[in-house]
Amino acid sequence: MADVLVLGAVNSAVYAMLALGFTLIFGVGRVVNLAHGTFYAIGVYVAYTLVAVTRLPLLAGAAAAVLAAAAVGIGLERLLIQPVRRWTFAVLIATVVFALLTQEIIYAFYGYTSRNIPSFTTQTLSILGVTVAGQRAITFAVAVLAIAVVWILIYRTRFGSAVLAVAQDREAAVYLGIDADGVSRTVMALSAGLAAAAGVLVAPVLVVSPQMWTLPLVKSFAIVILGGLGSIPGSLAASVLLAYTETAVSRFAGSAFSDLVPLVVILFTLLLRPSGLLGQTVEP
Amino acid sequence: MRQRVIVLVVAVVVALGTAGVGPSRLGAQAGPLTVGAPGPMQLPVGQGINYGLQLAAGEINSAGGILGRKVTVVPEDEAETPEVGLAAMRKLLDSDKVDVLIGGQTSGVVLAQLPQIARAKTIYLGVGAAAPQITAQVQKEYERYKYIFRVSPVNSTYLGYGLADFVDEFVRPKLNVTKVAIIGENLVWVQGVLPAMERRLAEKQGISVVYKELFDIRTTDFSPIFAKIRAAGAQFVVPLMSHASSDVVVKAYASLKVPIPWGGIDVKGQEADSCDKLDGASVGETVLFGSPPIRVAITPRTIPFIDKYTERFKRPPVYTSFGAYDALYIYKAAAERAGTFDAEKVIPALEKTDYKGASGRVVFDEAHDVRYGPSYAFETMVQWQTGCKRALIWPARLATGGYVPLPWLR
Repeated sequence: MADVLVLGAVNSAVYAMLALGFTLIFGVGRVVNLAHGTFYAIGVYVAYTLVAVTRLPLLAGAAAAVLAAAAVGIGLERLLIQPVRRWTFAVLIATVVFALLTQEIIYAFYGYTSRNIPSFTTQTLSILGVTVAGQRAITFAVAVLAIAVVWILIYRTRFGSAVLAVAQDREAAVYLGIDADGVSRTVMALSAGLAAAAGVLVAPVLVVSPQMWTLPLVKSFAIVILGGLGSIPGSLAASVLLAYTETAVSRFAGSAFSDLVPLVVILFTLLLRPSGLLGQTVEP
Repeated sequence: MRQRVIVLVVAVVVALGTAGVGPSRLGAQAGPLTVGAPGPMQLPVGQGINYGLQLAAGEINSAGGILGRKVTVVPEDEAETPEVGLAAMRKLLDSDKVDVLIGGQTSGVVLAQLPQIARAKTIYLGVGAAAPQITAQVQKEYERYKYIFRVSPVNSTYLGYGLADFVDEFVRPKLNVTKVAIIGENLVWVQGVLPAMERRLAEKQGISVVYKELFDIRTTDFSPIFAKIRAAGAQFVVPLMSHASSDVVVKAYASLKVPIPWGGIDVKGQEADSCDKLDGASVGETVLFGSPPIRVAITPRTIPFIDKYTERFKRPPVYTSFGAYDALYIYKAAAERAGTFDAEKVIPALEKTDYKGASGRVVFDEAHDVRYGPSYAFETMVQWQTGCKRALIWPARLATGGYVPLPWLR
């Protein structure tokens, strides 16, 4: 039981980091960003290139990868999303095309073969008698820190107030003098940076491959649906719930079933509580 | 007179045509023999098929070809998916009109291609896929599927036997192991290896399988599985992994410093640079090889092949390279014995094959499957050791080094 408690916590933090950006983007711009997992992949491939190819130190490579993904996020928002923002389907198509295009570019430059990024540490920790890989412990610590920073940014700063204002009523926020497009771009950069950071932290224990953007997208999707689209506290709660459910299923029923969890979650949430745990019901 | 000449010319043309030596047939015989090479060409195991064939074709062509025809190799990428594999096979058979097929790596892909190959009545020498269902078709419907042969690796049942023998003959006495855990990808080939291994282990006295799990190849967190293995009291872990999951499992094993020695099938772990790519995470892992890329004289052809291959392609051969290289020579010998390229006549000659190739001795059974056993094709276990060097540790008669404990257990 202790292993489920400890291992579930690590996965919760990573999921929260992924889902936070996804839900912020939806909250601010009503954008379902199907390219969210792509930022995760971009972060990992940039880090791989800088660390494994140009021999930059891992920490510097990781930081540069996060910044690069944030820059791509701004570009995506400005060039693809902003012009079609008012048409939901156009946004969906634009972001999925961007995701597929990026995948093909990665294929073209890096080929089919999977790559590897070195770990930040090779040490292990024993928590409650459970052995945890040092890399996963670092991932947990950085993820918790990143979530805390984003939380403070959103709920304790002027910028956060602007974000919440745009999320509540974009038009009214503009009348109040808030640069809504600027807020959207910054939030996209933040979201992309968070996804890239999650990728860079998790990549040392996973495989780097061009299709790696799909799994984080499915997880993020499941979390924000369960938590309630656009709800930050809902997403955090759903991240913990999903991660612990997956870990428990893997531990007690078999790992072959754990990937079913997010899909079952999406299905049942839509059937039983479409607004999610903490989402708001909007009358049509 | 002029009329007579015309009649004579017409008669000669008709005679040549009816004798089957018209211009097109003459051209076909004089042209190169095309060898279709389907495989996952983006991966080292696919490239290994192509390189093995290129090496053999170069040598054969230098010596005059096969029955006077030069050999050309047509590689075709079948990725690792049945849809791509079917399209690749269609291209090789319908567009390229290859004379013989040598390749294949993913069992699911090869199984999907079998009806195409049978319809085309083209000889197929498999060199990479291990599912017993592939050659079982030959026994079930001989007339339809007699074109299918497997040169390498031994089928998954025998892979399971090989692993069980390794555990019994090496792991148990050397590491004092009686409890084994088996984890494998939930894929067709593993579903053949696992029961065979369990069956064989059940025959051995005093070894029990205390834990087994088939995991989804997209599994990203192996911590719960390793926790269960430890809780079950396993003393040795046998992984059954292809390309799909290998890196993640190996990295998880090393990052968690799982305190249990391990060794089994790790297709990616067979690649020469796999340990370096993982920053040494593989050190201590023992990997099964049908044809070890270590300079061990399994037959007189093994070391010269490894040296020539490594020199030409700047990397050591993988298991499919051995199989492809041998397969082309096996086909050459059969065609020469039959004196023709006619599949119906080459097949009986292939069935009589007894060839000592680079990979070992190749003899086909009644299902056209390569025979397994100490005097036929057999398995070896190679361990990744300090500095990502490799040593063959089993069977003892071929060993190039001793077992080295996992770095975190030293």
